[in-house]
Amino acid sequence: MSDSEQPNESTEKKQDDKVDTGDEDHMHVKVYAPFKVYFDGVATSISAVNDTGPFDILPKHHNFMTLISQGEVIVRTDKAEEKFKISHGIMHVKADDVVVFLDV
Amino acid sequence: MKRPNEIEREEVAMSTLVELTSVFEGIASMRIAQIKNQVLQATKFFDDLWHIYSQLRVDGLFRFGRSQSEDNVSDKELYIIITAEGGFSGDIDQKLIHYMLKTYDKEKNEIIVIGHHGAIQLAQRGISYKKYFKLPVKDQNINVTPIIREVQKYKTTAVYYQEYISLMVQDVKRIDLAAAVKEQSKQTTETEEIISEFNYIFEPSTYDVVDHLERSMMQIAISQLILNSKLAQYASRFRAMSASHQRADEAKSDLHLAYNRAKRGIKDERLKEIINGLRKAKAEV
Repeated sequence: MSDSEQPNESTEKKQDDKVDTGDEDHMHVKVYAPFKVYFDGVATSISAVNDTGPFDILPKHHNFMTLISQGEVIVRTDKAEEKFKISHGIMHVKADDVVVFLDV
Repeated sequence: MKRPNEIEREEVAMSTLVELTSVFEGIASMRIAQIKNQVLQATKFFDDLWHIYSQLRVDGLFRFGRSQSEDNVSDKELYIIITAEGGFSGDIDQKLIHYMLKTYDKEKNEIIVIGHHGAIQLAQRGISYKKYFKLPVKDQNINVTPIIREVQKYKTTAVYYQEYISLMVQDVKRIDLAAAVKEQSKQTTETEEIISEFNYIFEPSTYDVVDHLERSMMQIAISQLILNSKLAQYASRFRAMSASHQRADEAKSDLHLAYNRAKRGIKDERLKEIINGLRKAKAEV
Protein backbone atom coordinates (compact mmCIF):
# COMPACT_ATOMS: atom_id res chain seq x y z
CA MET A 1 0.00 0.00 0.00
CA SER A 2 1.37 3.39 -0.91
CA ASP A 3 2.11 5.71 1.98
CA SER A 4 2.25 8.64 -0.37
CA GLU A 5 0.07 11.54 0.60
CA GLN A 6 0.96 13.44 -2.56
CA PRO A 7 -0.81 13.01 -5.87
CA ASN A 8 1.02 10.64 -8.25
CA GLU A 9 0.35 12.79 -11.26
CA SER A 10 -1.21 16.16 -11.42
CA THR A 11 -4.70 16.57 -12.80
CA GLU A 12 -6.58 19.73 -13.49
CA LYS A 13 -10.28 20.43 -13.21
CA LYS A 14 -11.86 22.36 -16.03
CA GLN A 15 -14.58 24.91 -15.38
CA ASP A 16 -17.38 22.43 -16.23
CA ASP A 17 -16.00 20.00 -13.59
CA LYS A 18 -14.73 17.59 -16.23
CA VAL A 19 -11.36 16.25 -15.18
CA ASP A 20 -8.51 16.80 -17.59
CA THR A 21 -6.62 13.50 -17.71
CA GLY A 22 -4.74 14.18 -20.93
CA ASP A 23 -6.76 11.87 -23.22
CA GLU A 24 -9.93 9.81 -23.46
CA ASP A 25 -8.31 6.55 -22.27
CA HIS A 26 -7.57 7.84 -18.81
CA MET A 27 -9.48 9.04 -15.79
CA HIS A 28 -8.65 10.65 -12.48
CA VAL A 29 -8.83 8.27 -9.50
CA LYS A 30 -8.56 9.10 -5.83
CA VAL A 31 -8.68 6.39 -3.17
CA TYR A 32 -8.54 7.72 0.38
CA ALA A 33 -9.60 7.35 4.01
CA PRO A 34 -10.02 10.13 6.60
CA PHE A 35 -6.37 9.96 7.61
CA LYS A 36 -4.61 8.60 4.55
CA VAL A 37 -4.50 9.00 0.77
CA TYR A 38 -3.79 5.63 -0.89
CA PHE A 39 -3.88 6.73 -4.50
CA ASP A 40 -4.40 10.05 -6.25
CA GLY A 41 -3.60 10.24 -9.94
CA VAL A 42 -4.39 9.21 -13.50
CA ALA A 43 -5.48 5.62 -14.14
CA THR A 44 -6.81 3.48 -16.97
CA SER A 45 -9.29 1.46 -14.87
CA ILE A 46 -10.40 0.65 -11.35
CA SER A 47 -11.95 -2.57 -10.05
CA ALA A 48 -13.79 -3.29 -6.81
CA VAL A 49 -16.53 -5.49 -5.33
CA ASN A 50 -20.06 -4.48 -4.35
CA ASP A 51 -23.24 -6.39 -3.32
CA THR A 52 -23.76 -7.49 -6.94
CA GLY A 53 -20.20 -8.79 -7.36
CA PRO A 54 -16.90 -7.61 -8.86
CA PHE A 55 -17.07 -4.68 -11.26
CA ASP A 56 -14.74 -2.47 -13.33
CA ILE A 57 -14.87 1.21 -14.06
CA LEU A 58 -13.34 2.42 -17.32
CA PRO A 59 -13.08 5.95 -18.73
CA LYS A 60 -16.39 7.41 -20.00
CA HIS A 61 -18.37 5.36 -17.46
CA HIS A 62 -21.89 6.59 -16.67
CA ASN A 63 -22.35 8.55 -13.42
CA PHE A 64 -22.38 5.94 -10.70
CA MET A 65 -22.56 5.63 -6.91
CA THR A 66 -22.13 2.39 -5.02
CA LEU A 67 -21.36 0.98 -1.60
CA ILE A 68 -18.27 -1.16 -1.98
CA SER A 69 -17.81 -4.36 -0.01
CA GLN A 70 -14.84 -6.00 1.66
CA GLY A 71 -12.21 -7.09 -0.83
CA GLU A 72 -9.59 -5.55 -3.07
CA VAL A 73 -9.66 -2.27 -4.92
CA ILE A 74 -7.36 -2.48 -7.94
CA VAL A 75 -6.18 0.68 -9.68
CA ARG A 76 -4.47 0.17 -13.05
CA THR A 77 -2.21 2.84 -14.47
CA ASP A 78 -0.05 2.85 -17.63
CA LYS A 79 2.95 1.77 -15.59
CA ALA A 80 1.61 -0.51 -12.88
CA GLU A 81 -1.27 -1.97 -10.94
CA GLU A 82 -1.95 -0.99 -7.34
CA LYS A 83 -3.99 -3.18 -5.02
CA PHE A 84 -5.55 -2.09 -1.74
CA LYS A 85 -7.30 -4.39 0.70
CA ILE A 86 -10.39 -2.66 2.06
CA SER A 87 -13.17 -3.44 4.53
CA HIS A 88 -15.87 -1.14 3.11
CA GLY A 89 -16.35 2.17 1.35
CA ILE A 90 -18.26 4.34 -1.08
CA MET A 91 -17.40 4.90 -4.74
CA HIS A 92 -18.49 7.95 -6.69
CA VAL A 93 -17.96 8.14 -10.46
CA LYS A 94 -18.66 11.28 -12.42
CA ALA A 95 -17.20 12.59 -15.67
CA ASP A 96 -14.00 10.50 -15.60
CA ASP A 97 -13.45 11.37 -11.97
CA VAL A 98 -13.55 8.39 -9.59
CA VAL A 99 -13.42 8.95 -5.83
CA VAL A 100 -13.31 6.03 -3.41
CA PHE A 101 -14.01 6.91 0.22
CA LEU A 102 -12.62 4.15 2.42
CA ASP A 103 -13.57 3.19 6.00
CA VAL A 104 -16.93 4.94 5.78
CA MET B 1 16.10 24.41 61.53
CA LYS B 2 16.53 21.58 59.02
CA ARG B 3 19.96 20.12 58.42
CA PRO B 4 21.55 20.78 54.98
CA ASN B 5 21.65 17.09 53.96
CA GLU B 6 17.93 16.84 54.77
CA ILE B 7 17.22 19.86 52.56
CA GLU B 8 19.50 18.46 49.86
CA ARG B 9 17.43 15.23 49.78
CA GLU B 10 14.23 17.28 49.44
CA GLU B 11 15.81 19.31 46.64
CA VAL B 12 16.73 16.13 44.74
CA ALA B 13 13.13 14.88 45.12
CA MET B 14 11.83 18.23 43.88
CA SER B 15 14.20 18.08 40.89
CA THR B 16 12.63 14.74 39.94
CA LEU B 17 9.20 16.35 40.14
CA VAL B 18 10.37 19.26 37.95
CA GLU B 19 11.67 16.80 35.35
CA LEU B 20 8.52 14.67 35.53
CA THR B 21 6.14 17.61 35.04
CA SER B 22 8.35 18.81 32.20
CA VAL B 23 8.07 15.38 30.52
CA PHE B 24 4.26 15.33 30.91
CA GLU B 25 4.12 18.87 29.58
CA GLY B 26 6.17 17.80 26.56
CA ILE B 27 4.04 14.71 25.88
CA ALA B 28 0.81 16.74 26.09
CA SER B 29 2.23 19.35 23.73
CA MET B 30 3.30 16.66 21.24
CA ARG B 31 -0.12 14.95 21.34
CA ILE B 32 -1.82 18.31 20.75
CA ALA B 33 0.20 18.84 17.56
CA GLN B 34 -0.59 15.29 16.33
CA ILE B 35 -4.33 15.48 17.00
CA LYS B 36 -4.63 18.94 15.46
CA ASN B 37 -3.14 17.56 12.26
CA GLN B 38 -5.56 14.59 12.29
CA VAL B 39 -8.58 16.85 12.81
CA LEU B 40 -7.53 18.85 9.75
CA GLN B 41 -7.08 15.73 7.60
CA ALA B 42 -10.46 14.28 8.58
CA THR B 43 -12.16 17.62 7.93
CA LYS B 44 -11.01 17.58 4.29
CA PHE B 45 -12.35 14.05 3.85
CA PHE B 46 -15.66 15.01 5.45
CA ASP B 47 -15.98 18.07 3.18
CA ASP B 48 -15.65 15.90 0.06
CA LEU B 49 -18.22 13.43 1.37
CA TRP B 50 -20.61 16.22 2.32
CA HIS B 51 -20.25 17.75 -1.14
CA ILE B 52 -21.66 14.54 -2.66
CA TYR B 53 -24.31 14.12 0.04
CA SER B 54 -25.56 17.70 -0.37
CA GLN B 55 -26.10 17.02 -4.07
CA LEU B 56 -28.06 13.87 -3.17
CA ARG B 57 -30.40 15.41 -0.66
CA VAL B 58 -33.19 17.56 -1.98
CA ASP B 59 -35.59 17.86 0.98
CA GLY B 60 -33.04 19.27 3.46
CA LEU B 61 -33.89 16.70 6.15
CA PHE B 62 -31.32 14.74 8.03
CA ARG B 63 -32.75 11.31 8.91
CA PHE B 64 -29.88 9.89 10.99
CA GLY B 65 -29.48 7.11 8.40
CA ARG B 66 -32.76 5.43 9.34
CA SER B 67 -35.01 6.32 6.39
CA GLN B 68 -35.69 2.62 5.78
CA SER B 69 -35.78 1.49 9.41
CA GLU B 70 -39.10 0.55 11.01
CA ASP B 71 -37.78 0.49 14.59
CA ASN B 72 -39.50 2.69 17.15
CA VAL B 73 -37.74 5.95 17.88
CA SER B 74 -37.72 7.27 21.47
CA ASP B 75 -39.08 10.79 22.06
CA LYS B 76 -36.42 11.38 24.69
CA GLU B 77 -33.36 13.42 23.85
CA LEU B 78 -30.10 11.52 24.08
CA TYR B 79 -27.17 13.26 25.75
CA ILE B 80 -23.69 12.09 24.78
CA ILE B 81 -20.97 13.44 27.04
CA ILE B 82 -17.34 13.11 26.04
CA THR B 83 -14.93 13.13 28.99
CA ALA B 84 -11.39 11.96 29.73
CA GLU B 85 -10.52 8.35 30.47
CA GLY B 86 -8.38 9.12 33.51
CA GLY B 87 -8.50 11.86 36.11
CA PHE B 88 -5.35 13.49 34.85
CA SER B 89 -6.98 16.13 32.68
CA GLY B 90 -7.35 19.20 34.85
CA ASP B 91 -10.80 20.51 35.81
CA ILE B 92 -12.43 20.40 32.38
CA ASP B 93 -14.57 17.26 33.01
CA GLN B 94 -16.19 18.77 36.10
CA LYS B 95 -17.01 21.87 34.05
CA LEU B 96 -18.58 19.71 31.33
CA ILE B 97 -20.77 17.71 33.75
CA HIS B 98 -21.83 20.91 35.50
CA TYR B 99 -22.79 22.41 32.14
CA MET B 100 -24.77 19.31 31.09
CA LEU B 101 -26.68 19.22 34.38
CA LYS B 102 -28.07 22.70 33.74
CA THR B 103 -30.50 21.25 31.18
CA TYR B 104 -30.66 17.60 32.24
CA ASP B 105 -34.07 16.22 33.17
CA LYS B 106 -34.21 12.48 33.91
CA GLU B 107 -37.74 12.26 32.49
CA LYS B 108 -36.72 13.78 29.17
CA ASN B 109 -33.09 12.77 28.73
CA GLU B 110 -30.91 9.70 28.69
CA ILE B 111 -27.15 9.81 28.97
CA ILE B 112 -24.38 7.97 27.19
CA VAL B 113 -21.01 8.73 28.68
CA ILE B 114 -17.69 8.38 26.87
CA GLY B 115 -14.67 8.30 29.19
CA HIS B 116 -14.28 6.71 32.62
CA HIS B 117 -13.71 10.00 34.43
CA GLY B 118 -17.13 11.26 33.35
CA ALA B 119 -18.79 8.01 34.47
CA ILE B 120 -17.22 8.41 37.93
CA GLN B 121 -18.27 12.05 38.12
CA LEU B 122 -21.89 11.13 37.29
CA ALA B 123 -21.89 8.24 39.79
CA GLN B 124 -20.60 10.58 42.51
CA ARG B 125 -23.55 12.88 41.80
CA GLY B 126 -26.01 9.95 41.86
CA ILE B 127 -26.97 10.36 38.18
CA SER B 128 -27.57 7.16 36.25
CA TYR B 129 -26.48 6.77 32.64
CA LYS B 130 -27.64 4.34 30.00
CA LYS B 131 -24.29 3.27 28.61
CA TYR B 132 -20.63 3.93 29.14
CA PHE B 133 -17.98 3.69 26.44
CA LYS B 134 -14.24 3.92 26.95
CA LEU B 135 -12.61 6.96 25.39
CA PRO B 136 -10.78 5.56 22.35
CA VAL B 137 -7.06 5.32 22.95
CA LYS B 138 -6.17 5.71 19.27
CA ASP B 139 -6.79 8.89 17.35
CA GLN B 140 -7.41 7.31 13.94
CA ASN B 141 -10.21 5.11 12.63
CA ILE B 142 -12.19 5.45 15.85
CA ASN B 143 -15.00 2.88 15.86
CA VAL B 144 -18.13 4.82 16.81
CA THR B 145 -20.60 2.33 15.26
CA PRO B 146 -22.02 1.24 18.68
CA ILE B 147 -22.67 4.90 19.53
CA ILE B 148 -24.38 5.51 16.17
CA ARG B 149 -26.63 2.48 16.81
CA GLU B 150 -27.76 4.12 20.06
CA VAL B 151 -28.19 7.53 18.41
CA GLN B 152 -30.55 6.02 15.83
CA LYS B 153 -32.92 4.97 18.62
CA TYR B 154 -33.61 8.59 19.62
CA LYS B 155 -35.41 11.41 17.93
CA THR B 156 -32.70 13.93 18.78
CA THR B 157 -29.20 13.80 20.18
CA ALA B 158 -27.09 16.46 21.84
CA VAL B 159 -23.36 16.05 22.29
CA TYR B 160 -21.53 17.69 25.19
CA TYR B 161 -17.87 18.02 24.40
CA GLN B 162 -14.75 19.95 25.20
CA GLU B 163 -13.45 22.40 22.69
CA TYR B 164 -9.88 23.39 22.16
CA ILE B 165 -9.63 27.13 21.64
CA SER B 166 -5.95 27.61 22.36
CA LEU B 167 -3.23 25.99 24.43
CA MET B 168 -4.30 28.01 27.45
CA VAL B 169 -8.06 28.23 26.78
CA GLN B 170 -10.49 25.30 26.57
CA ASP B 171 -14.24 25.48 26.71
CA VAL B 172 -17.19 23.12 27.18
CA LYS B 173 -19.88 23.07 24.50
CA ARG B 174 -23.17 21.46 23.52
CA ILE B 175 -24.17 20.72 19.94
CA ASP B 176 -27.15 19.02 18.34
CA LEU B 177 -25.79 16.05 16.36
CA ALA B 178 -27.64 16.86 13.12
CA ALA B 179 -26.31 20.41 13.47
CA ALA B 180 -22.84 18.99 14.14
CA VAL B 181 -22.96 17.20 10.80
CA LYS B 182 -23.99 20.42 9.06
CA GLU B 183 -21.43 22.38 11.10
CA GLN B 184 -18.69 20.10 9.78
CA SER B 185 -19.78 20.93 6.26
CA LYS B 186 -19.74 24.71 6.61
CA GLN B 187 -16.50 24.97 4.66
CA THR B 188 -17.97 23.30 1.58
CA THR B 189 -19.43 25.34 -1.20
CA GLU B 190 -23.09 25.04 -2.05
CA THR B 191 -23.84 23.33 -5.30
CA GLU B 192 -26.79 23.53 -7.62
CA GLU B 193 -26.26 20.11 -9.13
CA ILE B 194 -28.57 17.34 -8.00
CA ILE B 195 -27.66 13.68 -7.98
CA SER B 196 -30.73 11.56 -8.65
CA GLU B 197 -31.81 8.31 -10.27
CA PHE B 198 -32.29 10.23 -13.52
CA ASN B 199 -28.62 10.98 -14.01
CA TYR B 200 -26.93 8.35 -11.83
CA ILE B 201 -26.83 4.58 -11.37
CA PHE B 202 -27.09 3.60 -7.68
CA GLU B 203 -26.13 0.26 -6.20
CA PRO B 204 -27.78 -1.26 -4.19
CA SER B 205 -30.33 1.65 -4.16
CA THR B 206 -30.57 5.41 -3.67
CA TYR B 207 -31.92 5.05 -0.12
CA ASP B 208 -29.20 2.58 0.83
CA VAL B 209 -26.56 5.01 -0.38
CA VAL B 210 -28.17 8.01 1.38
CA ASP B 211 -28.56 6.08 4.65
CA HIS B 212 -24.98 4.87 4.45
CA LEU B 213 -23.72 8.40 3.77
CA GLU B 214 -25.72 9.80 6.71
CA ARG B 215 -24.37 7.13 9.06
CA SER B 216 -20.85 7.76 7.77
CA MET B 217 -21.14 11.49 8.30
CA MET B 218 -22.49 11.01 11.82
CA GLN B 219 -19.55 8.71 12.50
CA ILE B 220 -17.09 11.30 11.24
CA ALA B 221 -18.86 14.10 13.16
CA ILE B 222 -18.75 12.12 16.43
CA SER B 223 -15.14 11.07 15.81
CA GLN B 224 -14.25 14.71 15.22
CA LEU B 225 -15.98 15.75 18.45
CA ILE B 226 -14.09 13.00 20.31
CA LEU B 227 -10.81 14.20 18.79
CA ASN B 228 -11.70 17.79 19.66
CA SER B 229 -12.39 16.74 23.27
CA LYS B 230 -9.11 14.83 23.43
CA LEU B 231 -7.35 17.90 22.10
CA ALA B 232 -8.95 20.04 24.84
CA GLN B 233 -8.11 17.40 27.48
CA TYR B 234 -4.47 17.34 26.41
CA ALA B 235 -4.41 21.14 26.45
CA SER B 236 -6.00 21.13 29.92
CA ARG B 237 -3.37 18.58 31.02
CA PHE B 238 -0.66 20.73 29.46
CA ARG B 239 -1.97 23.72 31.40
CA ALA B 240 -2.09 21.75 34.68
CA MET B 241 1.41 20.33 34.07
CA SER B 242 2.74 23.74 33.11
CA ALA B 243 1.46 25.20 36.38
CA SER B 244 2.83 22.21 38.37
CA HIS B 245 6.16 22.54 36.59
CA GLN B 246 6.36 26.22 37.50
CA ARG B 247 5.40 25.53 41.13
CA ALA B 248 7.89 22.67 41.41
CA ASP B 249 10.61 24.84 39.89
CA GLU B 250 9.91 27.63 42.38
CA ALA B 251 9.89 25.14 45.27
CA LYS B 252 13.21 23.74 44.04
CA SER B 253 14.75 27.25 43.97
CA ASP B 254 13.44 27.92 47.51
CA LEU B 255 14.91 24.65 48.73
CA HIS B 256 18.24 25.44 47.11
CA LEU B 257 18.23 28.82 48.87
CA ALA B 258 17.34 27.16 52.19
CA TYR B 259 20.14 24.60 51.64
CA ASN B 260 22.71 27.35 51.04
CA ARG B 261 21.48 29.23 54.10
CA ALA B 262 21.66 26.13 56.29
CA LYS B 263 25.15 25.33 55.00
CA ARG B 264 26.33 28.87 55.62
CA GLY B 265 24.72 28.78 59.08
CA ILE B 266 26.78 25.72 59.97
CA LYS B 267 29.96 27.33 58.59
CA ASP B 268 29.26 30.51 60.59
CA GLU B 269 28.67 28.42 63.71
CA ARG B 270 32.00 26.61 63.21
CA LEU B 271 33.78 29.89 62.55
CA LYS B 272 32.32 31.32 65.74
CA GLU B 273 33.51 28.27 67.68
CA ILE B 274 37.04 28.62 66.23
CA ILE B 275 37.21 32.33 67.01
CA ASN B 276 35.93 31.75 70.54
CA GLY B 277 38.47 28.95 70.93
CA LEU B 278 41.28 31.22 69.72
CA ARG B 279 40.14 34.01 72.08
CA LYS B 280 40.11 31.59 74.97
CA ALA B 281 43.56 30.30 74.08
CA LYS B 282 44.90 33.88 73.77
CA ALA B 283 43.47 34.82 77.18
CA GLU B 284 45.06 31.76 78.83
CA VAL B 285 48.46 32.69 77.34
